[in-house]
Formats: sequence, C-alpha cells, structure tokens
Amino acid sequence: MMVRIIVRVTAALISLVLVGCAEPAFPRDPDDTLERASGGTLRVGVSDHPPFTEVADDGSVSGDEVEIIEGYAESIGATVEWRDGSESELVELLDLGQLDVVIGGIASNSPWSKHAAFTRPYTRVVGTDGKAQKMVIAARLGENALLTSLDRYLIEKGLRA
Amino acid sequence: MRRAVSSVLPPEQSAILAKAVRLEWITLVVMTVIIAAVGMAAGQSQAMRTAFVEDSLALLPPIAFLIGVARARKGRSPEHPYGHHRAIAAGHLVSAVALLVFGLMLLYNGLSGLAKGERPPIGAISLFGQTFWSGWLMIGVMTLSAIPPVILGRMKLKLAEQLHDKVLAADADMLKADWQTGLATVVGVTGIGFGLWWADSAAAALVSMSIVKDGFTNVRGAVGALLDRRAAPLESDEPDPLIEKLRDEALRTPWVAEAAVRSRDMGHVFHSEVFVVPVEGARLRIEDLEELHDRCRDVDWKAVDTVIVPVDGIPEGLSALDPRSRD
Repeated sequence: MMVRIIVRVTAALISLVLVGCAEPAFPRDPDDTLERASGGTLRVGVSDHPPFTEVADDGSVSGDEVEIIEGYAESIGATVEWRDGSESELVELLDLGQLDVVIGGIASNSPWSKHAAFTRPYTRVVGTDGKAQKMVIAARLGENALLTSLDRYLIEKGLRA
Repeated sequence: MRRAVSSVLPPEQSAILAKAVRLEWITLVVMTVIIAAVGMAAGQSQAMRTAFVEDSLALLPPIAFLIGVARARKGRSPEHPYGHHRAIAAGHLVSAVALLVFGLMLLYNGLSGLAKGERPPIGAISLFGQTFWSGWLMIGVMTLSAIPPVILGRMKLKLAEQLHDKVLAADADMLKADWQTGLATVVGVTGIGFGLWWADSAAAALVSMSIVKDGFTNVRGAVGALLDRRAAPLESDEPDPLIEKLRDEALRTPWVAEAAVRSRDMGHVFHSEVFVVPVEGARLRIEDLEELHDRCRDVDWKAVDTVIVPVDGIPEGLSALDPRSRD
C-alpha cells in the first residue's frame, strides 16, 4: 500500500519533471511578460539613485543598474523603454502591470517586497545605517519567467552579493 | 529510554509505550531536520515561509506526548489519588489546539492569497554551479519532506490504537496534515510554474479543510475528556466497548440484580465506577465484592482503576445501556 503510494508519487513527479523540461518556457509568466519583451520592448522604470541609477535633465539614464538592464535587454533581444519617476510611483505602476522592471538602488530588505518580486542580490554595499545591504532589481510580482530569466542573467554575469 | 517504561501499565502496554516514546524522539529529530531544510529552501518565498511556521507547529504533539508520558508514569499518591494519567489528556488538548491552529492558518493564508490575488514570485537559484528555477528545489524538498511523516504517521496510528493514546492519534493526524500540505505545495508550485499564480493558494485552501476538521474533532474530544465525558474509543463518540464489558461482568454475578457503569478517560486508562444493585435478601460479604472487583479489573488493562459501588438503586442519569432485568 505504502510502496504503491510512493511509487505513484515518484512516477507522477518524474513525468512532471519531463513535462517541465520539454516545455520551452518553464516557469511561465501568468501575463506572458518575458515572451512579449523578448524581441520587443522591456518597460523599465528608473528612479534616480546614484551610483546605481542616474537620470539626467534630458531624460537620459546611466548607472550600474542601467548597464545591467541594458545588457539583459540585449540578451533577450529587447529594446528598453525607460520611464523615470519616484520609487513609490514606479512600484505602483509595476504592481498595475504597466511596467515590467523597476530599478533605483533598491535593497533586498526594502518594504516594496510585497508589491514587487526581487531578483537575487547582484551586489553588496554599506547602507546609511552602516550595515551591509544587498541590492536587487524589482520585477513584476508573479511574472516568474521574467524573474527567473533576470536571475539567470545575473548568475551568468557573475553578479552576486 | 528503558526508564520511560510506565510502571502503572501492564508489561505489554509498557513495551508499546516505550516504542512510542522512541518513535516520538525520532519524530522530533526528523521534523527538526525537515523544518530546517524547508526554511533554507524557502528563501524569499512568502508561501514557503508560511509553510515553515506551520511545520514548526508539528513539533508540539511529540513534545506534549513526551512530557505527558513522563508525568503519567508516576503512580498514585495521597496528593494525586487518581494518579497522573490526566497528563495525557492535557497533552491531547495541546496537540489538538496545535492541529486546529495549523489548519486555520493554512486556510486563512490560502483564502487571503486568493482574495488579494497574491502572485508568488519564484526566481532562479544557483547551486553547486548549476542554475535552475528554484521551484524545482521547493518541489524536491517538499516531496522528500513528505515521506517521513507518511511513514511515522502510520506507525503511530497503530501504536495509538493499541495504547488508547489520544496524543499519539492527534500526532498522527498532525503528520497527515504535514505531508498533505507538503504535497499541496508541490502541486501549487508546479501550477505556478505553468503560470497559474493562484495554484499554491488554492491547493493550500483545499487541503486545509480536512486539517481544520481533524483539529476540530480533536479539540472537541480533548475538551470532552477533560469534562469527564463518557469514555470513547479513539476519534469516536460511541461509548467505549469496555463500559458494556464491565456491566456484563457485573451482571454475570449471581448476587447482582442490576448494574450500571460510568467510565471516564484519564488518558491511557479509564477510571470506572460499577454500580451494582444486589438481589433481594442478598447478604454481601467483603469477599464477594473483592471477587467482583478482581474480575472487573481483569476485563481489560484499561480497567485498572475500577471501583465497585453497591447501591439500593441505579443513580439518576446513569441509565443502563440496554436495561435487562434479571429475575
């Protein structure tokens, strides 16, 4: 009886893994963000926070995180559509699904974690309180193909905290 | 572990109890390892972190059992004239509440996740130079962590029946809740992988129903036992067969005209009173009562604490199960 249950569960899991591997996009996004952005546009919100992000008066963006995003966008064949604003405004747009990614020197312990999915930390800095802070990129919550692909890019580039 | 053998239980039950104690220690160790593993795999996933908190509740029944057994082992004394068996009943209440809270937390988290449209984020992870979706890690950990509770739970259920131990039975229910939740997480995370953001919450809410039901049944049973409710078999409301057996034993006595029995569950053993109405003109000797007393105690090991009460008539509210006249 027990053995039968275990055999059955194992069989189910193996078939699951096989399905997962055969599936080109696993995990999938509930709203297909990665699929849409690949070869299309990646909508990125950027809030001014040097040295991670800098927004010039003419609207041009630069900084470490901007470089990461540009490199990532290139890797999936996407062009970046930038939008600047305050962190709270951008996270709200992210929550509403009007942005795909938000950057702006966000730390892994930031309160936005309820409204955004954080990537793995890509670097470690000393915060204003003197404690170590892990820096992350915010993606739209639940779009796990996008999040996984961002994480993979960071791992490939050797960016870690 | 040999010291754990209860001096107040007969040798056979003492041996089972010693086995149960060993099993509970194993459970504590295994569950601690599992909880630590789940905690590490949880990462920033809120769903997995909730699973971690819930799993920690699964440690309460084994702890309640071990404390209860240690206490119940003590014999009767002038300060504790009924012995310490009630420690098991108290342990049952603790375990039952833990199980109910486990179920309610799971239900709440599942429903609120669905209501708020929470979309659990699960990214990639790099382990031993391999990069993969961390959902796979969660599925692997949760599957592995579901196996020991299945095995331990089944072993405990068997011992619980032999020992009439409600803490063990509640613990088996808790382990069942544990592996069901684990498998629900596996299904939920897989669903999330297929882009169904609601899969994890829905799976959690679904399995929580039966856990809440088990928790509720156990709390009701534990409170009932503490209120000296009529003794009942594990997870049942029916009168325990022992009550009828005691009555039959009394009625088999030539000088007994009528008999009624009340039994309360002290934990492992019962405390029973056998009310007997002697036949007209019977002249009772102490030896007669002693003889009946010995026979009643021999009916079952759970009947160790049985007293014979000769009365004029059956006390009110103690209606015999099926009144048989003996003329």
